[in-house]
Amino acid sequence: MRENKKTTILNHYSAWKYVLLLVTIIIMLFSALPTFYGEDAAVQIGAKAGLKVDSLALHHLLESQGVNVKRIDQAKGETLIVLDDNSQQAQLKTMLSEQVADPSELTLTLAPDAPNWLLSLGFSPIKLGLDLRGGVQFLLDVEIEPVYKLHYDALVESVRQFIREQSLYGAKVQQRSSGKVNISVSDPNQRQALRQFVKQQYPNWRVTNAGDSALNVDLLASEKINIRDLIVKQNLQIMRSRIEQLGITEAVVQRQGEHRIRIELPGVQDPAAAKSVIGATASLAFYQVMQPGSVNAKVLIDELKAPVYVARKPVLGGEHIIDARASLGEMGLPEVVIHLDRDGGKIMSNFSRDNIGKPMATSYSEYSRDNKGQIRQTTEVISVATVQSQLSDRFSITGAGDYASAQQLALLLRAGSMTAPVTIVEERTIGPSLGEENITNGFSALALGMAFTLLFMGLWYRRLGWIANIALVANMVLLFGLLALIPGAVLTLPGIAGLVLTVGMAVDTNVLIFERIKDKLKEGKSFAHAIDRGFDSALSTIIDANFTTMITAIVLYSIGNGPIQGFALTLGLGLLTSMFTGIFASRALVNWVYGRDFSRDVKV
Amino acid sequence: MNFKKLSKLTRARYLSSLMSLMIMFCSVGIIFVNGFNWGLDFTGGVVTEVKLDSNIKAAQISELLALHSDQDVSVISAGEAGRWVLRYSQVNAESSTSITDVLAPLTHNLEVLNSSIVGPQIGQELAEQGGLALLVAMLCILGYLSFRFEWRLASGALLALFHDVAFVLAFFALTQMEFNLTVLAAVLAILGYSLNDSIIIADRIRELLTSKPKMAIEAVCSRAVQATFSRTMVTSGTTLITVSALWIMGGGPLESFSIAMFLGILIGTFSSISIGTCLPELLKVNSEHYKVEPICDAP
Repeated sequence: MRENKKTTILNHYSAWKYVLLLVTIIIMLFSALPTFYGEDAAVQIGAKAGLKVDSLALHHLLESQGVNVKRIDQAKGETLIVLDDNSQQAQLKTMLSEQVADPSELTLTLAPDAPNWLLSLGFSPIKLGLDLRGGVQFLLDVEIEPVYKLHYDALVESVRQFIREQSLYGAKVQQRSSGKVNISVSDPNQRQALRQFVKQQYPNWRVTNAGDSALNVDLLASEKINIRDLIVKQNLQIMRSRIEQLGITEAVVQRQGEHRIRIELPGVQDPAAAKSVIGATASLAFYQVMQPGSVNAKVLIDELKAPVYVARKPVLGGEHIIDARASLGEMGLPEVVIHLDRDGGKIMSNFSRDNIGKPMATSYSEYSRDNKGQIRQTTEVISVATVQSQLSDRFSITGAGDYASAQQLALLLRAGSMTAPVTIVEERTIGPSLGEENITNGFSALALGMAFTLLFMGLWYRRLGWIANIALVANMVLLFGLLALIPGAVLTLPGIAGLVLTVGMAVDTNVLIFERIKDKLKEGKSFAHAIDRGFDSALSTIIDANFTTMITAIVLYSIGNGPIQGFALTLGLGLLTSMFTGIFASRALVNWVYGRDFSRDVKV
Repeated sequence: MNFKKLSKLTRARYLSSLMSLMIMFCSVGIIFVNGFNWGLDFTGGVVTEVKLDSNIKAAQISELLALHSDQDVSVISAGEAGRWVLRYSQVNAESSTSITDVLAPLTHNLEVLNSSIVGPQIGQELAEQGGLALLVAMLCILGYLSFRFEWRLASGALLALFHDVAFVLAFFALTQMEFNLTVLAAVLAILGYSLNDSIIIADRIRELLTSKPKMAIEAVCSRAVQATFSRTMVTSGTTLITVSALWIMGGGPLESFSIAMFLGILIGTFSSISIGTCLPELLKVNSEHYKVEPICDAP
């Protein structure tokens, strides 16, 4: 397709442009191909799982239980079982868990169906959103207020202590409901001393005058944001480690907005199991047990709803816990062995030394949201044990129930300190059959729309129409190729709608150009000249027209989420590829085929 | 240029502008009177889609659901026989008994196709976000238009835009079809597409104004409409074809999206010819003290 005639510049693209065009389209074609082969649900058995049977026996066993296996791959000790029917994935995992020594080594995954040579080139299928694959999605809300409250409480406590130590009689500290801490103090010297104290000890707080005899202390806004970011990041980390235990390779854990976390679990069909791991927010605290009826005590309840009087402030909170493991203790009772950090170990060591022979309560708090959307904290004393000896940074608690619940408690505690309650605010489950139905519907709509458009353009513009049609097909190839190449790009059902719209709109670029060419032909220009002028004069209109749609696509992408982002993505990418194929690729074709046609009686 | 034919077209434009104005006022009225049937995405609540034996009636399902929940549950047929959408208005943490258990007396052959639980605060946030998205998109477009075209031409495109969005919203208010997140995405996409037509005509007007400065303004507008007419028809036609394909084949989840897009493209094409060209004309006439009074008398 090399152009040899270099006598005129009119309608001439140099060879490198054709090469560029061809290379781009070929690369994108390869990139788009694996998507058409599709993916199959699979379960991977890790090398350490300890598979009890060989692959042949396994195949036999699975077939006999009604699981349709497509193939079983074994490499480097790992076994991959690829299914014929995607909806059997969960069933397969349950069945396999009986055949291996360690069920936690089983992971749900997807196996591309494309030939190996294509995959080894580094191309992979387009990632499908949950609405097309089926799965569970959770949106978690990280409640930051309780964390702020801890900070306020600490400040109030510290100022109170300062007032006592310095004997600043008459000074009073209280926390207002608005969040501010109010210190009422009439003496100017005392006020100055207090102000100085807060400024030195708490540089992240702002002290302001409240009238003549009081001070207001509040957290700086920047510090609040700082705290919030830290808490959300910590929770993201916790969620990732919890999700890992569910064994789903393609799970997504992402921050969404200021204080939300989005979790996507493709392939999961039972939200309840996932929920119990994600949803529960637990924290542990150790309290000194006080005399019943004591004034400085707060009342917690134990499993039997009996009151337990404990000190107002816990000796130690869950944030000091580094590790927690369930085990069977000396008496054969299930227990949770807790490992504390240095500070926590010191505090616990000091406390237990001073309180040998006295009881210590362990409380377990869970956060949930009631039907009015309010956060509710339920705290239960899970054990009251007598301190037998000085405890170190490693000790065990009993009373969590049977071994399974000890394991559950350990799992929750291991994830770290949970000072910020996390609640599930949105939950969506898409069954696998609906996902497949969505894919079929979406793509048949795309095929139908494409067929009609190709037919219409071919009939309406005849010869130029076929150029527009080739450009349209190239456009789709580019679009699919790009979607597969761009990391993080996910195809959703609205995304397919975006593709269908793109088909309808992509021809607009060509239509605009062809109409201009028609005009120029009417003015009496030759075909070649009309082509040249037509492409040039349509360019600014094309850019203007596409730019506004691009604006909405960008706004949608940045503000929307999940499926809507998928729509914005295909819409935006579709605009870019349609400009590329409509202007560049179709020009190259037109130049090549009609560029030398100087006749004046052409019908378009 | 045949003057008679031109004036006919001009008259048609003015008449259609009047119609557009009426449509716009009616639309705004309908939106305020009827309000929207907000979908789960915006209100929060629980929606479950189930598939069971096709001979089971809606009344049987509602009866069983009423036993287990003290709130109203709407049972809506999902198009196909045996497919139902169950919608609760409130998220109830306590009654999280699985739907399979609740409907067990009816059938054991039950498949949960999808289920969504959205907390009330999420819904409200989404509604606010959606409103924000609309506003931001409008402002960005306004910025681009005033940068690219002078304000009189831009105002025509913008009024047409408002007209189209109002019409589509009014349709959803009138039919009380569910207004969910995908419909909102469609409305935002309409923002982009409606401008498409208006801009292409505005581009022509600008081109004609500079190349033929002595031409009367209504003739310029009519000429621009005429010159772009076949392009408008072809593009709108292909887009309508593909959207119809989506409507026919896309299934339930994309139905309201396709309807919104279909109407949006249809009305967008109409408005770009009617008020899209008439408003700039009106403004232009007033500003330059032309003696010819336009028939189109916008308030």
